[in-house]
Amino acid sequence: MFHAKKPSTMNSHDRPICVQGDSGLVLTTDPKPRLRWTVELHERFVDAVTQLGGPDKATPKTIMRVMGVKGLTLYHLKSHLQKFRLGKQPHKEFNDHSVKDSDRATSLELQRNSASSSGMIGRNMNEMQVEVQRRLHEQLEVQRHLQLRIEAQGKYMQTILEKACQTLGGEENMALPARTFKGIGNQGGLIPDISAAFKEFGAPPLSFSSFQDLNICGGQEQQLELHAQSSGMGERSSSFDGFMNLGNDSTDHNLSLGRKRPSPYSNGGNGNGKSPLMWSDDFRLQEIGGATGGASGLGPNNEDDHHIIQMAPLSMESSCNPELDSVSDIYESKPILRDEKKFDAKLERPSLRRAPQISSLSAQGGRNSVFG
Amino acid sequence: MAMMVDETIPDFDCYGSLTTSINTTTTTTTTTTTSSSEDDHSCTWNDWWPVVDWDDFTGGDNFQDLIESMIQGNNSSSGNYLYNSISSEDDSGGMMEEEYPEDSNNNNQSEDINGLKLVHLLMAAAEALTGVNKSRELARVILVRLKDLASPNGATNMERLAAHFTEALQALLDGAASGTLHAKHMFSPNYKDEQHQGDVLAAFQLLQDMSPFVKFGHFTANQAILESVAHDKRVHIVDYDIMEGIQWASLMQALVSRKYGPPTPHLRITALSRSGSGRRSFGTVQETGRRLTAFAASIGQPFSFHHCRLDSDETFKPTNLKLVRGEALIINCMLHLLHFSYRASNSVASFLSGSKTLNPRLVTLVEEEVRPIGEEEGFVGRFMDTLHHYSALYDSLEAGFPLQIRARALVERVFLGPRITGSLARIYRTHGNDEICSWGEWLGDVGFLESNISFANHCQAKLLLGLFNDGYRVEEIGTNKLVLGWKSRRLLSASIWTTTDTDL
Repeated sequence: MFHAKKPSTMNSHDRPICVQGDSGLVLTTDPKPRLRWTVELHERFVDAVTQLGGPDKATPKTIMRVMGVKGLTLYHLKSHLQKFRLGKQPHKEFNDHSVKDSDRATSLELQRNSASSSGMIGRNMNEMQVEVQRRLHEQLEVQRHLQLRIEAQGKYMQTILEKACQTLGGEENMALPARTFKGIGNQGGLIPDISAAFKEFGAPPLSFSSFQDLNICGGQEQQLELHAQSSGMGERSSSFDGFMNLGNDSTDHNLSLGRKRPSPYSNGGNGNGKSPLMWSDDFRLQEIGGATGGASGLGPNNEDDHHIIQMAPLSMESSCNPELDSVSDIYESKPILRDEKKFDAKLERPSLRRAPQISSLSAQGGRNSVFG
Repeated sequence: MAMMVDETIPDFDCYGSLTTSINTTTTTTTTTTTSSSEDDHSCTWNDWWPVVDWDDFTGGDNFQDLIESMIQGNNSSSGNYLYNSISSEDDSGGMMEEEYPEDSNNNNQSEDINGLKLVHLLMAAAEALTGVNKSRELARVILVRLKDLASPNGATNMERLAAHFTEALQALLDGAASGTLHAKHMFSPNYKDEQHQGDVLAAFQLLQDMSPFVKFGHFTANQAILESVAHDKRVHIVDYDIMEGIQWASLMQALVSRKYGPPTPHLRITALSRSGSGRRSFGTVQETGRRLTAFAASIGQPFSFHHCRLDSDETFKPTNLKLVRGEALIINCMLHLLHFSYRASNSVASFLSGSKTLNPRLVTLVEEEVRPIGEEEGFVGRFMDTLHHYSALYDSLEAGFPLQIRARALVERVFLGPRITGSLARIYRTHGNDEICSWGEWLGDVGFLESNISFANHCQAKLLLGLFNDGYRVEEIGTNKLVLGWKSRRLLSASIWTTTDTDL
């Protein structure tokens, strides 16, 4: 039971004198010294119990050890723990879920428990409110954490990609201008094809984020180039079939250099570490807009070839499979503007979806209906 | 993908009880053709030649129409029962339904019919391979036909899926013919070795982005771990199959930024490595260790990495582990994530039972969720179930990335194809009787206790799925398991277990 510290709330048995011992324990001075569970002491108790994993897991012995309070005996702890457990019983369920809030919740509940039974109904409503609020709060926390975790994972993937990039680049013999593009995949015979195929296609239109920051290797500078170049890629054949018919890989290499929406949580292209799945997409879209502006200078000239050639290496082409299954052609199908818009819409969808989610959280609604 | 429904069966679970209806149809077909004399479809297999008259084979049924309709590009001509039954379906599992509006229904249907045809053929091939009227020749012929119709770079999911299944069946046929089933076909690892590293890397990145499978498994396990070690100062994780160590990046981040309990605990990870020729994705366990160490250093996570070798037969010896007093021991077992190699049952069993002797604080298990199949269904039943499983997978990838067919084809080729081959080989070898269907069940049987999935964990899973397509679902099964599914098909499950607690 939880008693306030004030002497006035003492039990009638006791004389109104409380003595504070050396250990900080407040003992009454009657013949049978009874331990007064003060606020602080109780809080320490609760802390210890939580640390041990909850009232069911904690034992008096372990609590005693953890609390480290001199003069506290097993007997004290046993009875207190038992009362604590009983007090917690009806609320056990949601306490399990949230460790961090349990302390606060616990003390609230204990207070309520000590209220008279006529307050029960009020107590239940209060509990529900508290519960609901707690869940909301928790959900927001989860959301935040999820985002951070996804980013962390992305960063780690980045290191893998970079390492792989270097490894693979070292294997291939790149006779290309050292534009810091590491060569990946075999470009050998493809280069002429690539440039030829590329020339087939028209001027750079809007590309969209698929090409953006593949960032498989290379630094920021390349990123921008990629953007610029890839804008050239965008407008290609008018349909997926066009791709298929192309027959040789080259063109496809050109295409999908970039990543699609949730892309490497790279700091290359968009410079922020935000959740790749959401915000970076929008960010990239803006960037591409900017890059496209810069791309206008790109025409069918030699420079293009360079770019093209540069891009080709990014395709991690399987040398054993001439058909194309390389990263580059993955994102191929962004050729038409029409499709791009559709894709843009899709890109945005995640972000749009997020917004409603967040607000709906507070409205206790929500697509994911977290309450059940 | 839409499937044909027998008229007598009103509705069904798209990925589930298909077997019955199709069984009837196909069996009829098969019987017709293999029963030699009496009927007019005198398809005498004894003197067949490679160029088969398909009319005879199919018993003169609608395939002709289907082929025509495919050529014509719409199916308006075949006003047959197939059309009716497809259009009368109202379930939402159709492969195309999400992406195509009402007016391109025609395209839908012809694609559906083609898909159906492929399924029929696959089923027939499976039957021919192992069914009552076993016939290698028949199987061979059917596979030839399938290869004509389906290519791994096909435009539709069903086509590519069928192509992979065809390959797998072909491997079985060859293996069976020569009397040996190569280990190569049983365990997908070797397939991947043959693939260009760049491909694998690319495919993995794509897989990560296209679907929540990887993240779901990792994050659910990590959240459970975080909660379990909330008050610990030292954490030791034994990872059965660390691969690239990606799971631990986000765990480290979470540990570093935790607010309650002792500040960032020391994390120790022991990775198991196999001396056999497992698939080495892009690096060895040691490289993974180096990478993790570097990452941990970059975010300020106290970390150390250890390496524990499994014996050549993959038995796990707990004594090989270095344990430290006072640390919280976690066993992490990721199986069947799409980019993982298959691990043999005895290896997994040895690991898990060995772990039990160490009394770990927590065991996190992620595995494929497979529908248990009755014995009487045998190979064909499992085959069809596998087909459904992968078709759900394909669909889920498509829904996320409807236009990036090449991208998906790559993922399918690099990861899913080999898995399909491996799965089928295993099913074939065990004649459809499962060795172990669910490791979770096994853990329960062996004496592990279920440990609750918290609200936060479930919530996280839901939020994660929300970032992807609507078709993904997460269900909580029992108290300790979350299952990720696509539409009505369960695909991957994450469960947490613990051993009996000693008095802390």
